[in-house]
Amino acid sequence: MTARRASKSHGFRRDLVMSALLGAAGLLIWRAAELTLAHKDFLQDQGDARYLRVISAPAHRGMILDRNGEPLAISTPLDSVWANPAELAANRQRWPALAKVLGLTSRDLARLLAGRMQREFVYLKRHVSPALAKAVQALEIPGVALQREYGRYYPTGEVTAHVVGLTNVDDAGQEGMELAFDDWLRGTPGAKRVIRDRFGRTVEDVESIRQSQPGRALHLSVDRRIQYLAYRELKAAVRRHRARSGSVVVLDVQSGEVLALVNRPSYNPNNRADRVSDRVRNRAATDVFEPGSTVKPFTVAAGLQSGSLSADAIVDTTPGLLRVGKHTVRDIRDYGVINVATIIQKSSNVGASRIALDLPREALWQTFADVGFGAVTGSEFPGEAAGSLSDFTAWGRIHRATLAYGYGLSVTSLQLARAYGVIAGDGRLRPITFLRQDQPVAGERVLSSATAKRVKAMLETVLVDGGTGVRGRVAGYRVAGKTGTVKKSVDGRYADDRYLAVFAGMAPVSDPRLVVVTVVDEPGGKEYYGGQVAAPLFAEVMTGALRMLGVSPDDFGGMGHRVALSANQRVASRDL
Amino acid sequence: MTAAAASHAVPQARAKDRNRLSLRYDAWLLGAVLILLVLGLTMVASASIAIGDRSLGQPFYYFWRQMAYVAVGVALGLGALRVPLVFWQRAGVALLVMGLLLLALALVPGIGREVNGSMRWISLGAVNLQPSELVKLFAVVYLAGYLVRRNEEVRQSARGFLKPMALLTLIAGLLLLEPDYGATVVLFATALAMLFLGGVPLGRFTGWMLAAAAVMSVVVLLAPYRVERLTAFMDPWADPFDSGFQLTQALIAVGRGEWLGVGLGGSVQKLFYLPEAHTDFLFAVLAEEFGLAGMILVIGLFTFVVWRAFSIARRAEERARPFSAYLAYGLGISIGLQAFTNIGVNLGVLPTKGLTLPLMSYGGSSMAASCLMLGLLLRVDHELRTRDRGI
Repeated sequence: MTARRASKSHGFRRDLVMSALLGAAGLLIWRAAELTLAHKDFLQDQGDARYLRVISAPAHRGMILDRNGEPLAISTPLDSVWANPAELAANRQRWPALAKVLGLTSRDLARLLAGRMQREFVYLKRHVSPALAKAVQALEIPGVALQREYGRYYPTGEVTAHVVGLTNVDDAGQEGMELAFDDWLRGTPGAKRVIRDRFGRTVEDVESIRQSQPGRALHLSVDRRIQYLAYRELKAAVRRHRARSGSVVVLDVQSGEVLALVNRPSYNPNNRADRVSDRVRNRAATDVFEPGSTVKPFTVAAGLQSGSLSADAIVDTTPGLLRVGKHTVRDIRDYGVINVATIIQKSSNVGASRIALDLPREALWQTFADVGFGAVTGSEFPGEAAGSLSDFTAWGRIHRATLAYGYGLSVTSLQLARAYGVIAGDGRLRPITFLRQDQPVAGERVLSSATAKRVKAMLETVLVDGGTGVRGRVAGYRVAGKTGTVKKSVDGRYADDRYLAVFAGMAPVSDPRLVVVTVVDEPGGKEYYGGQVAAPLFAEVMTGALRMLGVSPDDFGGMGHRVALSANQRVASRDL
Repeated sequence: MTAAAASHAVPQARAKDRNRLSLRYDAWLLGAVLILLVLGLTMVASASIAIGDRSLGQPFYYFWRQMAYVAVGVALGLGALRVPLVFWQRAGVALLVMGLLLLALALVPGIGREVNGSMRWISLGAVNLQPSELVKLFAVVYLAGYLVRRNEEVRQSARGFLKPMALLTLIAGLLLLEPDYGATVVLFATALAMLFLGGVPLGRFTGWMLAAAAVMSVVVLLAPYRVERLTAFMDPWADPFDSGFQLTQALIAVGRGEWLGVGLGGSVQKLFYLPEAHTDFLFAVLAEEFGLAGMILVIGLFTFVVWRAFSIARRAEERARPFSAYLAYGLGISIGLQAFTNIGVNLGVLPTKGLTLPLMSYGGSSMAASCLMLGLLLRVDHELRTRDRGI
């Protein structure tokens, strides 16, 4: 009986406990439904905020190509090592291993992380080699990961370094064409939404927000072959003459395109350690010098253009010197009474000064300005120098006399090449460009066709026997050009032992295709004249370039006597 | 003839019955337990791949260990199935004393092992033993025996109620020293429920319940980190990156699951966002990968286990087997409470307290204890089926 009563009482208590447990189960299911159905939007937003990240997808930079489509700059994928500072700090015992792989010390790591603990991202080493990237990955240190980036590779290295320029570690243009056309070359990074785990590793791509847009290719005007040739010859010449530096510019006469531009010293843009500013500088565009005798053709052109000088005019240069105030203009020797062509051929300072002094002041300035001295060439090359050509109203007699043979103004190699392009191009001035032009460029007439032809003919005499530039001859082609041996000014005075050897010329004379300017700074040997140092370099470059471009020869008799005669005759007969 | 034939037929039928497992054991209960075990293994594998790979370089490290624990657990459960209940009834006091000693050992520096600031484990070489898991079982066995021995005392006098309570307070004290707040709560609640079912007068019972609640409150308030946990659970979003971190991550996991979940292996929260994803917060990962449907299944299975335990207990009562009845009640309540508490923690209705989900969470001691308990429960049922029918 008691057992049954107890059982009854048990029944009530048992049902109560069971109901409580069932109630708990019901409550849990209710709560589960509440969370999954009613609160899901809030909870999912919270989750998304924790692991959904928008990451940028790198876009590669456009290629830089030469005029024939040969690559000069290529984007390549590279890995960079980065760390989450707080996590890496928590694994201090792994630092020595990591430092060793990265070629750093633990102290370097500490310095990198110091003060950046609040950040989530710190670069440890940018653009590492694939082998190093693999080694870092193998360490599996929490908080250390790789990031895919793009870097530049320059297959032609130091040969095209100054024209092409370079990018910084963030793939942005820093120098040269890389900088000038950065917007064109640069890609637009894309963006995508990804799920990341708590250690920052991407687990899943959710959606693409924006496709990455690769940069566009840039076709330069330079010809890789001519560039190689010019660089090789310049390097050899600079070494042979123990010179400080040198530049060569090769210009297409009809389009103003730069076919080659090289400097020594150069650098390897693929090696960041090599990027010393002295070597990175594009001297041909940024360094100015007094052009010396190479401006004499323009002094003559100014005379011819103004009408006050006739092509067959006779100038008395005796006794080989000319006093202008306190200043004395000297020739190497007394050339006596000579014609205008001979002034150019022999490079007579006295003759050039006399011509200039007989001209109205603005006539000389006008011609110099017209052929582009004192103004940038329009090449858009970053940091290009404009040189200097002061206003003629301030010119005194001494200034005019010295300007006539190239002192008192300054130019770049690029400007000088452009000015010679006027004489070569029938009196038309064309902007310099580093980009391939598919259409001929008309240019702007600054000299009459007749003036250009006459000066060109005079320049041809420079290369015949008796001229200062005979070593600039090119077999099979008629060449016109002018030497320059410029005393360098040091601390405001002209030094007697520092020269700049220059040669500017064009070929073939019958229909000039190319203008080449060679500049060798401070030749250290016994030879320092433009005709000795710069003219042979010119000849090598011009010879190779004409052949590479397949330009038809126009001199079948061999240059020399015949040409000299005909040039003199032409000059004489036309103006009679 | 017919009588003789019938008398022949009966032993034959009995012999057949003897060979039919479904008649000798509770197949439904066994089925539910097996489903929970398989589901648990699957979820441990899924939730621990990332953490195993990252911290040990072995994605299936935790899975294979858990496999071994399940094997050990099943062996223990099968062992328990073969041990007559009389043994447990006699050994109750001894087992509890042993449990007490183990608890005390875990607190001895050098023997006990500290993890996350708690001294809950005894190091046994490759594995660690967590005595609190066993103590829960031993306490249930002891109380069942006590309620039978002192039935009149429990019903009539305060002493009958106070004696076991004092013993439990001692155990609770050791558990709180570790500290293991979750085990304390489950143990105490189970004991109170068993005493309630044992017939302690309602008035007395309510008084002591209030007293116990007061003590608990004091204990909670004395340790600041528990206060923090409590406030964090009530509004985890107030400080989601510190005190509310774990819970908010668990809730996000549940919220992502919706009706059917993101699919097995698809959980993002297990990728280091949710701490303890393969142990205490396994349910949240299950919720993310299998959704509301998966949660209802698991809660339903545990509810079914509890209901089954109660129906076994009821049958034991009807057959006047009080020890079996109290044991079945205690086991059912203990498993149910622990499961529901763990799930409640995962769903943010209870404060975070470091409690495993029986039969499912990663952990050897928990798995062994859970399997032992269910083995015992099946044994109770088995004895009811066989002894009384004379099979």
